[in-house]
Amino acid sequence: MTTRTEQSSPLPVPSEGHAAPAAATDALCKTYGSGDTRVQALKEVTVAFESGKFTAIMGPSGSGKSTLMHCLAGLDSADSGSIRVGGTDITALGDAQLTRLRRERVGFVFQAFNLVPTLTAEQNITLPIALGGGKVDTEWLDYIVASLGLAERLKHRPHELSGGQQQRVAVARALLTRPDVVFGDEPTGNLDSRSGAEVLALLRRSSQEMGQSIIMVTHDPVAASYADRVVLMNDGRLVGDLASPDTDSVLSALAGLGA
Amino acid sequence: MLTVALAEVKAHARRFVAVGIAVMVAVGFLTATLMVNASSEASLANTVGAGFRNADLVIAPGPDEPLEPAAAESAAAASAATGGVAQTYLQRQAYIAFGAAGTAGFGVLQNLSKDTALNPAELLRGSWPAAGEVAVDEATAKRLQLAEGATLRLAPAGGSVAAESLAAGRDLTVSGIIEPSNDPLTMGQPQFLAPDAILDGLSPAESPAAVLNIQLGLADGADAGTVRDAVGAAVSAAGLRGATVNTAAEHTKERVAGLTGGSDPITPVLLAFALVAIFVCGLVVANTFSVLVAQRTRDLALLRCIGADRKQIRRSVLVEALLVGTLSSVAGVVVAMALMAGLVGWLRQQPDTAFAALAIPPFAVPLGAGAGILMTVLAALAPARAATAVAPLAALRPFEEARAGNRKGRARLWIGLVLTAAGAVVLGLGAARASLLVALPGGLLSFIGLLMCASVFVPPLVSAAGAPARAFGVPGRLAAVNAVRNPGRTSATATALLIGVTLVAMMMTGAQTARTAFDSELATQYPVDVSIAGPAMDGTALDARDAAAAAEYDGVAAAGLVTPAGFAEVDGMRTGVYRLLPEQKRLLQDQTLVLDDESVLMAEGSGVATLTVTGSRGEKELTVVETGSMAFPPLVSAAVADEVGAPAAGSPDALPQLWLAVDRDLDAAALMQLRADLAAGLGVEEYQLSGAAIERAAFNQVIDVLLLVVTGLLAVAVLIALVGVANTLSLSVLERTRESALLRALGLTRRQLRGMLALEAVLVAGVAALIGIALGVLYGWLGAQSALGAFATVAPDVPWLQLGSVLAVAVIAGLLASVLPARRAARLSPVEGLATA
Repeated sequence: MTTRTEQSSPLPVPSEGHAAPAAATDALCKTYGSGDTRVQALKEVTVAFESGKFTAIMGPSGSGKSTLMHCLAGLDSADSGSIRVGGTDITALGDAQLTRLRRERVGFVFQAFNLVPTLTAEQNITLPIALGGGKVDTEWLDYIVASLGLAERLKHRPHELSGGQQQRVAVARALLTRPDVVFGDEPTGNLDSRSGAEVLALLRRSSQEMGQSIIMVTHDPVAASYADRVVLMNDGRLVGDLASPDTDSVLSALAGLGA
Repeated sequence: MLTVALAEVKAHARRFVAVGIAVMVAVGFLTATLMVNASSEASLANTVGAGFRNADLVIAPGPDEPLEPAAAESAAAASAATGGVAQTYLQRQAYIAFGAAGTAGFGVLQNLSKDTALNPAELLRGSWPAAGEVAVDEATAKRLQLAEGATLRLAPAGGSVAAESLAAGRDLTVSGIIEPSNDPLTMGQPQFLAPDAILDGLSPAESPAAVLNIQLGLADGADAGTVRDAVGAAVSAAGLRGATVNTAAEHTKERVAGLTGGSDPITPVLLAFALVAIFVCGLVVANTFSVLVAQRTRDLALLRCIGADRKQIRRSVLVEALLVGTLSSVAGVVVAMALMAGLVGWLRQQPDTAFAALAIPPFAVPLGAGAGILMTVLAALAPARAATAVAPLAALRPFEEARAGNRKGRARLWIGLVLTAAGAVVLGLGAARASLLVALPGGLLSFIGLLMCASVFVPPLVSAAGAPARAFGVPGRLAAVNAVRNPGRTSATATALLIGVTLVAMMMTGAQTARTAFDSELATQYPVDVSIAGPAMDGTALDARDAAAAAEYDGVAAAGLVTPAGFAEVDGMRTGVYRLLPEQKRLLQDQTLVLDDESVLMAEGSGVATLTVTGSRGEKELTVVETGSMAFPPLVSAAVADEVGAPAAGSPDALPQLWLAVDRDLDAAALMQLRADLAAGLGVEEYQLSGAAIERAAFNQVIDVLLLVVTGLLAVAVLIALVGVANTLSLSVLERTRESALLRALGLTRRQLRGMLALEAVLVAGVAALIGIALGVLYGWLGAQSALGAFATVAPDVPWLQLGSVLAVAVIAGLLASVLPARRAARLSPVEGLATA
């Protein structure tokens, strides 16, 4: 790969407007295992995630929602079809380019183990930039830290923080590089409902106030209700799409899947 | 990534402690080894330079070209006249007999320098001797109870301690006490210092005092180089040929090189052991880092997720290794220096080694530390590569157990197999041909090959050894399974221990086998255990009373006086023939020998069929029966002796011999003591006692000391490996915190948990020790066969007791290694453990 389509500097996301989706797949297929243990996790999934929106992917266990997110984030490769992130086709990128993509254009918030336990909160937040050898935009950092309420906690180690605080540090890390898209993998799965609500409200604010595109995988209808849009999956296929969801509409849509 | 690596080392310092200790010990060993040579040379220089320590320049004779007194005198005068030379001292010495306060002996008399500044010794008390006076070294003064003012009689050089010789000498008054010289040529002898006139007076023309050198002191501000050149020219002009002019330091260096022959036999041997220690340490480091990487799979995956590339991950692990390696290597160097300084300091306190000096060669510090750092980083290379193989997705698998990649390197196995096979063939060849030079590389190759294949045979053996552990119930069963849960890790841990144990067992078996081989060889080399050849120091021949007295000593089984029966021509020499009484036959080593009235027993290779024995009454031709011994005097039966007639007693070429048989169970020390006691009791010199038992004792003493030293040196490698066992176990315990907590929650008692971990450690350490012992026995036997096969029959002889203690040490150390990790695991409450995700 001598030609590189990705841009060398992070894009100011909001200025992209609604022209290109934050992330999209086209006829994406993914199969695991072979023989008896063969599982077709994704069956020709075609979906686009709008830029600047907060989208939730829902579905029962084994529906393929996690696999879809892994593929979108460049953590897993596709068997066929294509994947685009912020206008870049990442389907055929090699490890080094995917690593750069993750460092510069994608953010992550996982269910647990988000932080490197030996680093302070601040070191964790700036880690992606440190890895890329770039300079931290301190103004932006201060803004994020302040709006996430982490100013007092920057010198603490992860084990000195509550679960909710740890997730907020993870959100701050994901936002700092102004990525094309932030991926959340059950970001509130390990939290009590109050802390969970706090983190979800934060994610929604990031999307609304900073224009950050967010894609979150969850099986919690309450969590999904914070999103602008809910994409429903079952058995490796897209089976539904809700705009401006609330808990009840999500629940009834999920109930429809069982039938 | 530097931040990450630094934070990792800081946060998990405890996990690196064991590895740090291992590196520190290995580096300390290596550095100390490098300092031994320099320090022993510096110590030697201290002694060698003692005689001219106050001089600036030394004019010394060339090799095999003594300084002629007359030429030396003129050279000294010429030197004194050279600009820049302030003092000259023509150092001379003579060996002379002395007498004082009823005792007499020999000592070294040196002349005093005209300039006190150049005197070759330090004055401790009193004053430098003037006319009619002498200074005595402190040790001698103490021994002879000579104080200032006492009288000492010196005989002329070439004289003796006999009264008439001393009478020709002169009485001198002791004026002062000097410090004993450490010069290796005079050390330990009585040393005297007197003015030139006295030395001249005591040196008759036929044995003039020897000129040692001409020492020069420089004037203030004179340049040593310039003066040296000027003195060199002056000396040549004065007709002193072959002499060299050097600074005192250069001269010391030359003399040290002359004494050591320019080579140093100790350092290469020590270095080999240090390298074994470093290698074992490398294994421990590699193993520790792979465990650490396996435990950090999730962290590493997270780093990969948020954008760390492979190079950064690898660098991070290597930076950790660099940090740990640097810190512990520097600590190792410091420890080595402290140890050596302590050792030298202790030696300086000892009267016999007060000249010891610490020297740290400039290359020892960077070389020791550099080797440690390099070894640590190299050992971390493979784990670092494993770390780059962690997939970013691993961060998203919430509860999957961290597991080290356990790919068996097929290539490595094949190379290992080929090396083992090829090495075994070469080793076998070497053993068959009794050639150590062939066997050594073969043994080395096959051992390296076996180590490479360790992952094939170690886990199954640990597994098999674990089968009886099932008798201990659930904990036993779990321990057996856990011990081989991660076969790669188990192999690496065991291999580190295996190396040390194999080498120790090899040395023990080799020594024991060599001992047995020599015993049987010696049994045939000498006719009897101990034979004492007369006469006693007072000139009288040994007699039956001596034999009776000798038989009374503890450890002497039987004694008999073997008397001459006549003479015979053997190889053109008149040789004494001895008579063996029937009751003396049991003294012989070889009990199968038969002596009848028509034959004579002779040494091996005498090459004649018959021997004519001539006695005082007649002669008789006897059939020669060769024995296996090279030192067998011709022996005839009592009847033959009677027939030819024994020669008159006191014939100087046929003195009776006293033959002894000693108890079989006497050890070397007891035998050496018996030899000393017998020599004192019978009034003979110790060297007059010889025989198989004496040789055996001397040989065994050498072997025992060597074995002790080698085992001690290898113990360092074993120690490092045991640190590795403790380290692997404690890391495994950390990794299994949740699992241990679950077991505790399900009803496993603390005791059972501790027992389980102890059993696990014992299994790994015990199996490693057993394999090591088995390999060591094999290598030891083949090695002994290769080294000694050419001149002795080598049968494997296994020192079971010693090997048993090696196994015991390994097992106990394994138990001890489990104590801390097990306590840590048991301390954790079930709830806490499950909470630690």
